[in-house]
Amino acid sequence: MQTPKTPSRRRVRSEAKTPLTPSLLTTFNAVSIDSPIKRATSTSIPLSDAFQRQASGGVIRKGGVESRLDVVTLDYVPPPKSVEVKRSRSTPVINLAERDRFITSRDHTLDVAATLDQMSLNAPSGSPTHTARLAAAAGVPLNRRILGYHLQPPSASSDTTLALQREFARPLYANRPGAVATSTGATTNKTRKIPTQPERVLDAPGMVDDFYLNLLSWSSLNCVAVALESSTYIWKADTGAVVQMGEAPAGTYVSSVNFSNDGAFLGIGLGTGEVELWDVERGVKLRTMAGHQAQVAVLSWWQHLLSSGCGDGSVWHHDVRVPRHKVMQMLGHNGEVCGLQWRKDGELIASGGNDNVVNIWDGRVGDTPIAGDAVPTGNAKWTKRNHTAAVKALAWSPWQPNLLASGGGTNDATINVWNSTTGARLHTHTTPSQITSLHFAPHRKELLSTHGYPTNAIGVWSYPGLERVAEIRDAHDSRVLFSAVSPAGDMVVTGAGDESLKFWKIWDIPAADKKSKASGRGEGVTRSGVLSIR
Amino acid sequence: MAPKQATRQAITLKGSTALVTEFFKYAVNTILFQREVYPSDDFHMVKKYGQVVLVTQDLALENYLEKILQQVQKWILTGSVTQLVLAILAKDTRTTLERWVFDIKLVEPPADSKEVTGKAEAEIQSEIRAILKQIVSMVTFLPVMQEDKVFNILAYTSDSADVPAGEWEDTDPLAIEASKSQQVKMRSFSTDVHRIEAMVAYRYEE
Repeated sequence: MQTPKTPSRRRVRSEAKTPLTPSLLTTFNAVSIDSPIKRATSTSIPLSDAFQRQASGGVIRKGGVESRLDVVTLDYVPPPKSVEVKRSRSTPVINLAERDRFITSRDHTLDVAATLDQMSLNAPSGSPTHTARLAAAAGVPLNRRILGYHLQPPSASSDTTLALQREFARPLYANRPGAVATSTGATTNKTRKIPTQPERVLDAPGMVDDFYLNLLSWSSLNCVAVALESSTYIWKADTGAVVQMGEAPAGTYVSSVNFSNDGAFLGIGLGTGEVELWDVERGVKLRTMAGHQAQVAVLSWWQHLLSSGCGDGSVWHHDVRVPRHKVMQMLGHNGEVCGLQWRKDGELIASGGNDNVVNIWDGRVGDTPIAGDAVPTGNAKWTKRNHTAAVKALAWSPWQPNLLASGGGTNDATINVWNSTTGARLHTHTTPSQITSLHFAPHRKELLSTHGYPTNAIGVWSYPGLERVAEIRDAHDSRVLFSAVSPAGDMVVTGAGDESLKFWKIWDIPAADKKSKASGRGEGVTRSGVLSIR
Repeated sequence: MAPKQATRQAITLKGSTALVTEFFKYAVNTILFQREVYPSDDFHMVKKYGQVVLVTQDLALENYLEKILQQVQKWILTGSVTQLVLAILAKDTRTTLERWVFDIKLVEPPADSKEVTGKAEAEIQSEIRAILKQIVSMVTFLPVMQEDKVFNILAYTSDSADVPAGEWEDTDPLAIEASKSQQVKMRSFSTDVHRIEAMVAYRYEE
């Protein structure tokens, strides 16, 4: 009826785009127009008494500047008795100050619900032209325009799904667990800087990539023994000379090497179970101690006792001075023994096996021989079953005799530190990857660990905090399997399946030692390039 | 006396408009960041209102918001915009997931027109800060939106508003069905001239 002032074209468009509830059609009885931008057309509707009544009866009113769409909803509340409703249009309703629509029976705690209704205006039904006609008839100003900018917002610069994929793929690439972003792949904390490049690299062709073997040893006479398949080589650090110690019998391979404490003898364990004894100085084999039925994966010396860990789970003590070399056996593992370490004083010996067990044995061997072939059997002082993977890495602390550190394999990757006196577990630290060897620093309260996939790292940890002091990521191209600390206590040699030996300078020698050692070390060693050991 | 006061009023309106517009900029940025409409890498931290606010670095988005806010500012100045809505839609289905509603009201000067009681800037800022913090805290209970999202800004204007041709168009209100939505009213802030009330409605289906 009323001709809107706005151009009709715009009006229709606006109406067509403004969905109205179907309720509008039925309860289109009460509307008030109180917008600040009040339009003349709306006020010009003649207000009949009937309309007034209807308006007061319809209850749902809209008032206030804030209303978004002047539309009524379905709620029906009985007409209120108060007179305030009647003076609706001319005088401001009391509730006008509030932002809600004025519904007499409204509980004010339901404010939220009211706005909710306002929000839900897109009715699926209702012909736009009809609503438009109706609106025009009732004089409802559809003078609200909902405008949107003609352009769609720009899409994200980086695709979020792609980013998600990248997130998923990240573990495969640079950001490996615990990694810190550095270009060199090495991290050192502020107090310590360690060279992230090896001092020296030796070629070690044919080095067996087997976690369970122990193919590297560094003697107190500064010789490094390394087993490459069936051959054993000695690299004399003082001169840089390489000597081949000997060949394992045909058809077998060297599975472990270990220098005696004085460095004069080298024990070599074979895949067939024999343990050979070599004179390092002369380069001759002294004797072969047979008896084991499986591969001897690890050897450890204490003075005249050469202890061997076997694939069948037994540990034997061989007394190298007597013809009947087997003086004791210790049965405590169900799996292959791959870790074996005498304490320096010979009181205790620790063993770790593929059965995830760490045993600590009393190192004393009885003097009285038992008749026949029988040998005394040792008992484990402590048996620890906390690891969840094979225990190859074992280390006794040089500065606190009752500390034993053990490290588990891939599924475990945890360093445990034990008190061998009380049997208590003192510390536990989980690392990102398999632990292949452990060493306590000789002159510092630190612990060195070597790791396999995925970090292939050398880690230095403070003790007792077990905080990372330094880490050399990707020390080798494949998992770092073997390591040995130099007699001076500053260098560490690591061997890996990438067929190389790398020498790292991890620690400094204390000042007092430096003088004596400086002259001994470092000469005769070629400065650059890869030295072939063969 | 009278003309002096009039000038002052005009300046206040302009200043208030700028303030409100600026608030929208940061509120929209905060919402876009918090609701992960844009990847968080695109945002950088800016000190504003005595706190850290995350603002987009994406040039295209920056310009887009800038253009919208310029127009909004004009509308606020003329008092022809009553509501701004930031709707977050699912990218694929185009269903509205959230609606962040900002009511803009003109504060009527008191009838007994005495000296205009200027609201301290610090007070306004602390109110704004409260709203922005509330937006951040909303994340704790708003439903997680798994799908890809886009946003849309709607301006509810009066019919008489000047609409730059070809730039702004009448659109759907992008409302959420009443039965499937819940809403939470948020804090408000006011300057001497404007009062902004914020609310969020979100799709919530049991």
